Amino acid sequence: MRKKQMTSTFRVLCTTTLAGCILAGCASGTGGNEGSATSGTNQGGASTSEVKAPFKLTIMTNLHTPEVPTDEIEKMLEEKTNTDLTINWVPDGSYEEKLNSSFATGSLPQAVYMKNQTTYILFRDAIRNNQFWEIGPFIKDYPNLSKLDELVVKNTAVDGKTYAIYQERPLSRQGIIFRKDWADKLGLAAPKTTDELYNMLKQFKEGDPDGNGKADTIGLTDRSDLVYGAFKTVASYFGTPNNWGTVDGKLQPEFMFPQYKATMDFFKKLYDEGLINKDFPVTSKEDQQNLVITGKAGMYIGSMADVQSLHQKTVEINPNALYDVANRISGPSGDAGIWSIPGYGNLVLFPKSSVKSEEELKSILAFYDKLMEPELANLVKWGVPDKHYTIVEGGLVQKVEDTKMTDREQKPYEILQVGGESTIDMLRPYNKLPAKAKAEELIIENNSMLINDPTAALDSKTFGEKGVELQQIINDATYRYILGNLDAAGFDGEIERWKKAGGESIIAEYNDSLAKSQ
Amino acid sequence: MKKHDLRRRILKNKAIYLMILPGLLYFVLFKYFPMWGLVISFQEYRPYDGILGSDWVGFKHYQRLFTEPMFWTIFRNTIVLFLMNLIFFFPVPIILAILLNEVRLQAFKRFVQTIVYIPHFMSWVIIVSISFVMVTMDGGMINEGLDAMGMQKINFLLSDEWFRPMYILQVIWREAGWGTIVYLAAIAAIDPQLYEASRMDGANRFRQIWHITLPSIRSVIVILLILKIGDVLELGFEHVYLLLNAMNRNVAEIFDTYVYTAGLKQGQFSYSTAVGFFKSFVGLVLVMSANWLAKKFGEEGVY
Repeated sequence: MRKKQMTSTFRVLCTTTLAGCILAGCASGTGGNEGSATSGTNQGGASTSEVKAPFKLTIMTNLHTPEVPTDEIEKMLEEKTNTDLTINWVPDGSYEEKLNSSFATGSLPQAVYMKNQTTYILFRDAIRNNQFWEIGPFIKDYPNLSKLDELVVKNTAVDGKTYAIYQERPLSRQGIIFRKDWADKLGLAAPKTTDELYNMLKQFKEGDPDGNGKADTIGLTDRSDLVYGAFKTVASYFGTPNNWGTVDGKLQPEFMFPQYKATMDFFKKLYDEGLINKDFPVTSKEDQQNLVITGKAGMYIGSMADVQSLHQKTVEINPNALYDVANRISGPSGDAGIWSIPGYGNLVLFPKSSVKSEEELKSILAFYDKLMEPELANLVKWGVPDKHYTIVEGGLVQKVEDTKMTDREQKPYEILQVGGESTIDMLRPYNKLPAKAKAEELIIENNSMLINDPTAALDSKTFGEKGVELQQIINDATYRYILGNLDAAGFDGEIERWKKAGGESIIAEYNDSLAKSQ
Repeated sequence: MKKHDLRRRILKNKAIYLMILPGLLYFVLFKYFPMWGLVISFQEYRPYDGILGSDWVGFKHYQRLFTEPMFWTIFRNTIVLFLMNLIFFFPVPIILAILLNEVRLQAFKRFVQTIVYIPHFMSWVIIVSISFVMVTMDGGMINEGLDAMGMQKINFLLSDEWFRPMYILQVIWREAGWGTIVYLAAIAAIDPQLYEASRMDGANRFRQIWHITLPSIRSVIVILLILKIGDVLELGFEHVYLLLNAMNRNVAEIFDTYVYTAGLKQGQFSYSTAVGFFKSFVGLVLVMSANWLAKKFGEEGVY
């Protein structure tokens, strides 16, 4: 009995402290928000003649580095735009979660980044329900924002109205990065077909490319990502459509196409013969890159722009390592192709719950308009001159070698950029590394063989509701097929399951939407 | 008469009742008040319209849950992991506490105690990462060992069969030491005279454990067992989520992970609330039956 009392007293003490903390946290949180909202409204309506106090702006965006950056660049931005910035950095891995919970509790800041197209689509319903400001009618009043590419802006529209400003992305960065020194040693040229691709991976495993006399190398390094990892890019080589394709004028998801199966068979062969890391369905991007950096794997398929950082980290271990990039790989049909995104990466939305008036919205748009001026665009993209980069011959930018420093001080701010090279007169990069220069060329060359997603501008209610959950059925089935836990009939069974669980409605809704748009 | 009695008792012990107040407030504010939110499981909840503005849809979300093809898999996985916890994990701290109690060298006992506590203070991310490094196919210690002995490598991370053993071993690894605290305290409270008397009667160590230590801590075991059942479906969301992947989803998807993917990652608030509510309901039924059973066997129970 005595002990029971003790424990309950103890529990009371604990809970009191806990409750105290939570209450305190809540209180300060709300206080801050209210403050910024009211002062924001005041600022928006203030006259322009006298010197204005800084406009308060809160931003939530995703963070790609492990650490929150230092505020040097933030301070410079604040000074140049007369803004008092509060940036809420949320780790990229848990961004959707944070976005949804902030939305549900009505605590979104004034400017919210959407992370990517997939996340943005989930918000279409809320956009339709008038939760975010329509900015279409205002854009023309801003000299820089009005330069945004009309076609891309149209891609971001919901029911023909513009709500978001976008961040430009090359249509397709996907391609192959491989160890040139290994290929040279084995007498292999850059692959041109999927068969040559397979052969290179096989030689990388069996030909002892690192010359240490041991069979300790593999071909491909991949990670737990069917889209930005190797799978979708290789699927393009086999001629798989980008998410959706048409058969007799009707839209069908990519995994119902025989090319998707051919890709799975290709990966199954890689897996069975040990040409790919065995744990790829659970491998992180960092571990994936480490396999190629440490000279265990010879090929990396993904964003070709990654060759720069891969090279930098590899030569620290092995100064003789040499990388090359390749694309335009043709599959069995003889055609080459590469999947593309709709021209934008991240997007910014302005919630009505936190942006209370049109004046306030205009002040925010003015901030983004200034962000598109070359000086500020360069600041977020490249950092501080002579610190994060230097100008070399021809006025090109050469970034400093110390990536640890730039990761900490400058890289996270790239996410703030709106528009991009084709809409802003920005500094261009100088690529000392030939492979990086070639990668940039190939990224442009990719534009000549793009496979577009026909549903990018279409709409499906069911997809918005449970598309992610349904996609998981297919992703799981794909992995299980590659690892040999599921045969072709089993995979078809999973497609049937997908259809029954809501896939049929998605197909019907996309086709309806397509018919309406024509 | 009775009422009057109660008031007098409260007045007499007002200091103690006052101390309960903050805790009570905490439960009302953070445990009972949010239950109001459960009504959204009967709605098509839209955050911007709020609870008052959203449409009522009756049992639609519950119907969806029960007709979902994954439902029975999730239900089974949750129950299996719970039973494994009960059978394989629950006795470990008891055994460990008894063993520690038998250690006569105090310094050594404290040293061992500290060592087995430490994993409790590491997050699941660290525990899972350490195991990951040990069992990965590409250069993992265990698989390299198997390989060196000429045996087939085992894909621990990507198989249905190895998920459960890995799960339970990690639970034991992290929590067993911490779980011994209460049992050690209970054992310390046993009257030493009982042991002396039994030694006089010629009982050896095992007899002492069997006839004195175990019966003396029986009520503690029962109470902790009921509390454990109360946590029935709290299998450690973070832990399972970290181990979950495409290849073991058939055995690893549990209510918690399902709520996370359906609710937070996709914004289906009403549906995931329904799932969570169902889970709590199963937990309640289990606790009540355990308590009833405990009373049947002449123990005190928790209420």
